[in-house]
Amino acid sequence: MTSRFPGRALRGAVAAAATIALGAGLVGCGDNSGSSKDGGSQGKDTVTVAFRTPNWILPISAPGFTQGENAIFGQALYRPLYQYRLDGTAQYNIDPQRSMAEPPQVSDDGRTLTITLKDNSWSDGTPITTGDIQFWYNLVTANKDKWASYRAGGFPDNVEEWSIKDEKTFSITTTEVYNTAWFVDNQLNRITPLPRHAWNKDSATADVGDLASSPEGAQKVFDFLTAAAKDPKTYDSNELWQVTSGAWKLEKYVPNGEVTLAAQPNYSGTDKPKLSKVVLRPFTSDDAEFNVLRAGDIDYGYVPAANMSQTSYLESRGYTVSPWYGWSITYLQLNYNNPKSGVLFKQPYLRQSLQMLIDQPTISKVIWSDTAAPTCGPVPAKPGTNTDTAGCVYSFDPAKAKELLESHGWKVTPDGQTTCQSPGTGPNQCGAGIAAGTPLEFTVTSQTGFAATTKMFAEIKSQMAKLGIQLTIKEVPDSVAVTPTCAPTEASCSWDMSFFGSQGSWYYPAFASGERLFATDAPVNLGSYSNPEADRLIEATQFAGDESALTAYNDFLAKDLPVLWMPNPVYQVSAYRSGLQGVEPQDPMNLMYFQDWSWK
Amino acid sequence: MSTLSEAVGPAEPNDTPPRGLWRQGLTVFCENRLALVGLGLFVLLAGVCFLGPLVYQTDQVHTDLTAVYRAPGEQGHLLGTDGVGYDQLGRLMLGGQTSIIVGLAAGVLATIVGTLLGAIAGFFGGWVDAAVMRVVDAMMSIPSLFLFMLLAAIVTPSAPMLILIIGAFAWLGPARLVRGEALTLRSREYVQAMRGMGGTGGRAVRRHIIPNAIGTVIVNATFQVADAILYVAYLSFLGLGIPPPAANWGGMLSDGLADTYSGHWWLLYPPGIAIILIVLAFNFIGDGLRDAFEVRLRRR
Repeated sequence: MTSRFPGRALRGAVAAAATIALGAGLVGCGDNSGSSKDGGSQGKDTVTVAFRTPNWILPISAPGFTQGENAIFGQALYRPLYQYRLDGTAQYNIDPQRSMAEPPQVSDDGRTLTITLKDNSWSDGTPITTGDIQFWYNLVTANKDKWASYRAGGFPDNVEEWSIKDEKTFSITTTEVYNTAWFVDNQLNRITPLPRHAWNKDSATADVGDLASSPEGAQKVFDFLTAAAKDPKTYDSNELWQVTSGAWKLEKYVPNGEVTLAAQPNYSGTDKPKLSKVVLRPFTSDDAEFNVLRAGDIDYGYVPAANMSQTSYLESRGYTVSPWYGWSITYLQLNYNNPKSGVLFKQPYLRQSLQMLIDQPTISKVIWSDTAAPTCGPVPAKPGTNTDTAGCVYSFDPAKAKELLESHGWKVTPDGQTTCQSPGTGPNQCGAGIAAGTPLEFTVTSQTGFAATTKMFAEIKSQMAKLGIQLTIKEVPDSVAVTPTCAPTEASCSWDMSFFGSQGSWYYPAFASGERLFATDAPVNLGSYSNPEADRLIEATQFAGDESALTAYNDFLAKDLPVLWMPNPVYQVSAYRSGLQGVEPQDPMNLMYFQDWSWK
Repeated sequence: MSTLSEAVGPAEPNDTPPRGLWRQGLTVFCENRLALVGLGLFVLLAGVCFLGPLVYQTDQVHTDLTAVYRAPGEQGHLLGTDGVGYDQLGRLMLGGQTSIIVGLAAGVLATIVGTLLGAIAGFFGGWVDAAVMRVVDAMMSIPSLFLFMLLAAIVTPSAPMLILIIGAFAWLGPARLVRGEALTLRSREYVQAMRGMGGTGGRAVRRHIIPNAIGTVIVNATFQVADAILYVAYLSFLGLGIPPPAANWGGMLSDGLADTYSGHWWLLYPPGIAIILIVLAFNFIGDGLRDAFEVRLRRR
């Protein structure tokens, strides 16, 4: 008798044997693997970097394409008007060397900012003028609903007058007197000059004109550019993307694959690239990346938390290992609009109970191998400083969490299913909209590819199960994409909790206010959190002249828990060849300046 | 005394009653030493997985971050602990239960569905046969693992779900095999006689086709189980298995690979070896059963 199975099953067994044999080789013969200390690109003018493939090229952010790799990729090709640094040495945190304009001059009444451009040019030699900034302004004003950075009342709604003085000078008059630091750091940071002499048209065959000067024309131009940006396979061939202002030009782009940046010979900035090429290589998982890093096949990568014990090995192989602290926070997003679980999340006592079941210090230390630190509120701690929850409103306290639930009418069944026993809106009852017998069971949509994240949620699930709160962990490649902002009636609103913070959930601009995160209807307020007091305090940060408003906003949200605060990992623990210079300092705002890199 | 010598030799009086078919099959099976080893391995692994937790009791529900990566033997953990403090030996037992249950259930489900559809298609022929076999051909043209991954990515994996997913696509092989058997059996005299006496097609399938193909079916079922166990391991290895605190050997092997460079060998070898042993066991058992159902190898 013949069978199609025996051979295949045996092959499977052989494959399993090969897997553990391979593992055996790796475990037992670690010191013999990998390349020499001088391998890779050292001594050459190319660098290979572990980097997720960017998928958005247009320097106007679009919803769903705001990932960090897109920001790094974008600013390598198209310089923003202002670039920032957080070392506290510069006015308004503006980096004077990299920025394309001088710091703004503020009028006496505080409402008008006058900005003067430095001498810069596009890669084709055309000078960069205020006309290119006007072109950007026309596009975003006519297409606000398609711009990921737009929030009603924010830029450009808060601009009363936009005035071009001459080819080098323009001014912005705001509707109110804003905190200048906030306006410069969090509003002007969005401006990126665009090459109107190459892009001001609505089709590839059309002649360049002045189409964007009218709102209708600006919409057509925007649609044309957006359509081109949504076609990654043409990134390296489309003429649109050949005219750039950044230090790099795109030489090769493989969708979901490798990207090669070449030094832009006509770059007009002062920070000229020292390398000729940067190869961005994506990996499907931490393990895959680390295997290649350990073999010495990339010049710049990262060490996953599970492999932190390999630091000394990497250092012995000629790598420098350095944590990249971010100006960031990490959180577990709650969906207040979920028809089932939204009513539960709206109860402050329940959010507090859930928060008290997350042992941030221990998770940071054990699972993240000390490469994460607790998040206590919406304003990040100074990078690399906080290591415990001493300053947090809610520390890990399962007993108090249990007491809180029981005092609000829940029948806590350890390792079973906790349910609402006393429905109603009284002080000792479950709360509005929660029926008797409602279980505390939630699904967490998390990220694949991060071993530490998987372990972290195993721990949190375990702690919650001890109080009868059942979590189902579902890992997907892109958790942001499948947990969108939604209305309760939409089918996409069935998600309960979303986690996308394996490398930090949110990286702030220089001024860490929350108008994009926690304000009602904010663009990245995925869970639709809404609290009038939070809105008021967020608004206040935009007008106050000192830090007090930011402190008040932080204190309120740290206590109100719009999300569950989670251990904030470093963006990554970078490992780069010791011969590679210019990598440090690693930008806390999650940008990479490849032009600073060079080989010894 | 062999069948051949009995046929050519002189007839001798034999007072011992003829042995039953099942007993003869058992004798042939027992003569296959590898089959016995396979059976022993399976009994041993199943015993350890299902009875072991009664003796070696561990908490496989709650994590313990104060006891991560304990080496084997440390603080009473015979096989150490993993990255969230689960006892590794206890986890192997729990993971084995999932792997064996899902493997057996999916294998049996695939065998039942495949046998029924194959027998019906082969016996009735015509458009029924054409329809069933074209479906089989079409589904076989797509790599099974790809389909499993697709489905496992769409739904949240659980043990029953994995059984359904694997069973839903693994019936194709048995269906083809049984259909081939049915094609030959339907023209046999006893089937024709039964139909001539007014017996229905359903009765023919139920009482004659399936019982006479049972040898093929059982042998194939053992390989189905081995395949299903491997599929569970594949899916878990790719991160599409049952989420924690549930465990299975494929997922444990995948987790162990993440710790490969950290020297935590006890997270890598045991689940890998367990997968090899259980798959080999079912293959050996399958080989033994093939011998047992092979008429020419039986003594009469």
